[in-house]
Amino acid sequence: CFTHYSAAISVLFTADIISTVEFNYSGDLLATGDKGGRVVIFQREQENKSRPHSRGEYNVYSTFQSHEPEFDYLKSLEIEEKINKIRWLPQQNAAHFLLSTNDKTIKLWKISERDKRAEGYNLKDEDGRLRDPFRITALRVPILKPMDLMVEASPRRIFANAHTYHINSISVNSDHETYLSADDLRINLWHLEITDRSFNIVDIKPANMEELTEVITAAEFHPHHCNVFVYSSSKGTIRLCDMRSSALCDRHSKFFEEPEDPSSRSFFSEIISSISDVKFSHSGRYMMTRDYLSVKVWDLNMENRPVETYQVHEYLRSKLCSLYENDCIFDKFECCWNGSD
Amino acid sequence: MLGRGLKRKLSDYEENMAGLSSAFDSSRNLPYPLKRQLVLNMCLTKLQTYKMLVEPNLHRSVLIANTVRQIQEEMRQESNQQPINVCPGITPSSHSYTGMESSGIPLQLPSGISQQESNCCDLRSVEDPIENSLLIVSDDDMSSAISSILKDLDFVEDISPPTCLVPTGDDQPKFPENTGLKLEDDRQDLKGAECVFGSFEISNSTSYLKDLAIDDIFEDIDTSMYDSDFCCPPLMPPRPPSLATEEPLKTFPSCNSSSASNIQICRTDLSELDHIMEILVGS
Repeated sequence: CFTHYSAAISVLFTADIISTVEFNYSGDLLATGDKGGRVVIFQREQENKSRPHSRGEYNVYSTFQSHEPEFDYLKSLEIEEKINKIRWLPQQNAAHFLLSTNDKTIKLWKISERDKRAEGYNLKDEDGRLRDPFRITALRVPILKPMDLMVEASPRRIFANAHTYHINSISVNSDHETYLSADDLRINLWHLEITDRSFNIVDIKPANMEELTEVITAAEFHPHHCNVFVYSSSKGTIRLCDMRSSALCDRHSKFFEEPEDPSSRSFFSEIISSISDVKFSHSGRYMMTRDYLSVKVWDLNMENRPVETYQVHEYLRSKLCSLYENDCIFDKFECCWNGSD
Repeated sequence: MLGRGLKRKLSDYEENMAGLSSAFDSSRNLPYPLKRQLVLNMCLTKLQTYKMLVEPNLHRSVLIANTVRQIQEEMRQESNQQPINVCPGITPSSHSYTGMESSGIPLQLPSGISQQESNCCDLRSVEDPIENSLLIVSDDDMSSAISSILKDLDFVEDISPPTCLVPTGDDQPKFPENTGLKLEDDRQDLKGAECVFGSFEISNSTSYLKDLAIDDIFEDIDTSMYDSDFCCPPLMPPRPPSLATEEPLKTFPSCNSSSASNIQICRTDLSELDHIMEILVGS
């Protein structure tokens, strides 16, 4: 039990390496997933007049083991427990819900608080032992008494066996009923209540695997239009799809690609153009993509180039060969909009 | 997996490669074909390493394979543009290292084998040690990486270095042969890059068992000797697994060539056995 998990004291175990982070909608909760399959949720400090600057601090709220390592006996492969992505569901009652996924399995977790407990049961003692019913002479109504806050996490759904390749993205739909999960070659649509079925909505696997030149790297639903989603590729392109047009969205509605600048062409041009993350703005009018060296903002109405480009670490451009040699060029970065955008 | 508190050290190979790639990054004077060859070597080495993994990363493999294809396409276009026939008066060995680039036939440098020989001689006089090591790395690594990719699922590395051709004097008549070999390498190389994804299919398909016809597995075995009443072990050592095939299970030794002599030898044994039996039975 990691009851004292403080950022200041961190013992460096490999399993502690954080693999994903995600704020919830209000920003009060921050979920982190790590290589050991654990999820740790931090909660923002409440406003406190005696400590006016404490509002920016986050303390541990809940910790639970989301995924365990598994072994696929048919293929003799170990399935890593590392959490690839966490996505919160919009809050609808007192409990919080989130989706967490490793390479193969998505799980829906319910995180709920318990700060009261009932006392004065008729059929059992305070220490839980059952009473002999014949000994009970009077009935009483149990009363609720406060207790120390306890945060419990329980798995509510397990969505498994739908992905042959490694899951890289999950995205909750604006209808709050469905979500998508994407791996290297396919995207599946799920209903949050149904775990034994999913619909395949994108499949880019070629008939002959030797013709494969492009993989899916990220996918996201539009924040307002529940029929629209985008997915990015390893060639630096983004495709926007409309689920109303056909059941299998292999044909995109929009295709976003910036023409290559011939002056900056190198052997590694394609590798660094691979998009590692795509995020819609809150308005739904724009989307942001992250490739190895830059962040680009696209207007959904303009497919031929982004409206803004930010070079994040341009100084690395002159070191691409070394970065390729030690595999750092394959590192994936995420991007995120400001809450007000 | 990193051990707790252990500092990761670069292996010798990694240190060498790190030196080469930082030379790539920092040196502006490195000729383009050399840079290209270095990148190609790194790509092929990575693909080779990934093949050893039980579950290679599909995203990375696709990116690396695309880079290899792009380089090969570039090399192919250059070789198509340049005339293959070399004037008798010009020998490859007469091209200095920098001269190679300016003459517009950079292609020959990395893969022409006899030129490799001659240029190695030239290189020893070149002062830049990095260029030296690059060329020497490129020849062996490229051919070994290509051949190992071609073996694909068998993981059998039948690395026979390309036929070492005669020294500089006889370059002329051999030249078309080298080019032919180079183009063949290209095709094999490209096919090798494409073959990378064949293993993804098999490892990720849950129905691979259905795809194999049981009879195919055993077609290599010659069962004629087992048709007789006796059984004898093959006296010849098993042949190495057959090449250029997608069948992962074709590793059974082929007894075809040795069966005839085996049967002969076994018949001799049989007659001796009969003789012994007669003595024992006393008939």
